[in-house]
Amino acid sequence: MKSLILKDLYNIGHNIKSMLFMFAVFACIFIFSSNIEGYIFSCAILCSMMVVTTFAFDDNSKWVRHALIMPVSKKDLVAGKFFILAIFCGAGSLLGLTVASVSGLIMKKFTFGPADISSLLILTLAAFVAALIFGSLSIPLVFKFGTEKGRMLLLISFMIPAAICFGIYQLLVFLGVVFTDRLVFMLLCFSPFIALAWCYVMYRISYGIFAKQEY
Amino acid sequence: MDAILQVENLTKQYAGFQLDHVSFSVPKGTIMGLIGENGAGKSTTINAILDLIHKDGGTVAFWGQELSSSKQLKEDIGVVFDDINFYAALTPAQIGKISAAAYQQWDEVMYQDFLKRFQLPAGKEIKTFSKGMKMKLCIAAALSHKPKLLILDEATSGLDPVMRDDILDIFLEFVQDENHSILMSSHITTDLEKVADYITFIHQGKVLFCKTKDELRYQYGIIRCGAALFGQIDRTEILTYRKDDYQWNVLVADKEKAARKYKNAVVDDATIDDIMLLYVKGEQLN
Repeated sequence: MKSLILKDLYNIGHNIKSMLFMFAVFACIFIFSSNIEGYIFSCAILCSMMVVTTFAFDDNSKWVRHALIMPVSKKDLVAGKFFILAIFCGAGSLLGLTVASVSGLIMKKFTFGPADISSLLILTLAAFVAALIFGSLSIPLVFKFGTEKGRMLLLISFMIPAAICFGIYQLLVFLGVVFTDRLVFMLLCFSPFIALAWCYVMYRISYGIFAKQEY
Repeated sequence: MDAILQVENLTKQYAGFQLDHVSFSVPKGTIMGLIGENGAGKSTTINAILDLIHKDGGTVAFWGQELSSSKQLKEDIGVVFDDINFYAALTPAQIGKISAAAYQQWDEVMYQDFLKRFQLPAGKEIKTFSKGMKMKLCIAAALSHKPKLLILDEATSGLDPVMRDDILDIFLEFVQDENHSILMSSHITTDLEKVADYITFIHQGKVLFCKTKDELRYQYGIIRCGAALFGQIDRTEILTYRKDDYQWNVLVADKEKAARKYKNAVVDDATIDDIMLLYVKGEQLN
């Protein structure tokens, strides 16, 4: 597993300059328009998309043929993609949080009192969870359809969880549930567990697809 | 015979191609050459052996165990394909770290020694490497986790003769240890003539024969004759034959017997290339 993650980190390391450039552009757009929340979410989601890029590198070098002759199982190989996704989402969220905090401090948008800090941390957690949920749907899609089609289906992978969340929200509103601040806070605290459960389902689906494939 | 790898009745069906009950074994301390024309089924056989494709039938046992039964088995198997399977922007040093994280048996000192011996710069991206350098890097990585069995799928194809000779020497060095073996698929039969102990010939998905190289080199022969003499040759002795413009080329399993029996015929030694060519392009009586 460690070797699989290391390989993805080395591979993606060659894209780091272009990624940093994109983060800088996003920083200019979001932070100067005072949309710090948008910036943290953008960083997390942009980083989650890098998992598809790792698949492109794998396809390009026919990596899976080599990986399967190493002492790693097919389950390890699939699980490795979810671990690397979690790393990317974590790195993106933290980068967003850092840049947003520093910008907020420079532009004097935060007082950095306990309320501001907790609000930023909760926002970062929400961004991490959202990126993880979106990114984990892209993994079975790429396993099933390959990188090229998978890229095109990336939009779907971002729309499906959004549609599901919106549907659940509408259903709850229809059932008379009122979204108070307390309820939203509780949902946010509970969201990492929802993301974990979602990732597990996506992992099972991905493994089911991958196990049938030939290399 | 103490076999490291035992393949029995391996079958795989594709549209338009079938790997048909392929069986052979690789004894300890030997090099087994897998020959056949392009599309004969060599790579399919190796892919099935390595569980890269799903078998329709048959068994593959490494030291008596199936590959899927234990991760440890993979520690003892080194594989080199015909191309490097790492992203082109990686360096040999990074490949070493990735491999070290994968294999418990990884020997970093041995890997660094191989890099020096093969004159491979550890910090240079592999996209700048020649085909030969890439293959040497693959071999270095495959040998540095101390495998007991090397599986090579067209590992020497695309290399110049000097580079091939260097690599073949490494393989010969590897099998000096009597617990080591190599399964080596190649359509460059001269390479196999140099290093192989056994030859398994696959044609149209079937094993035509599995024999020692010496038997093929020292016993097989080709009778070169005209139509009249061809008519007199005992049909049971003809393995395969091919008619050129004015000459019949007949492959026989015992060239000395043929030379004694057909005194007017020219009986030449048969190279593995000749044998393969006659089987692929010639005709069989039965």
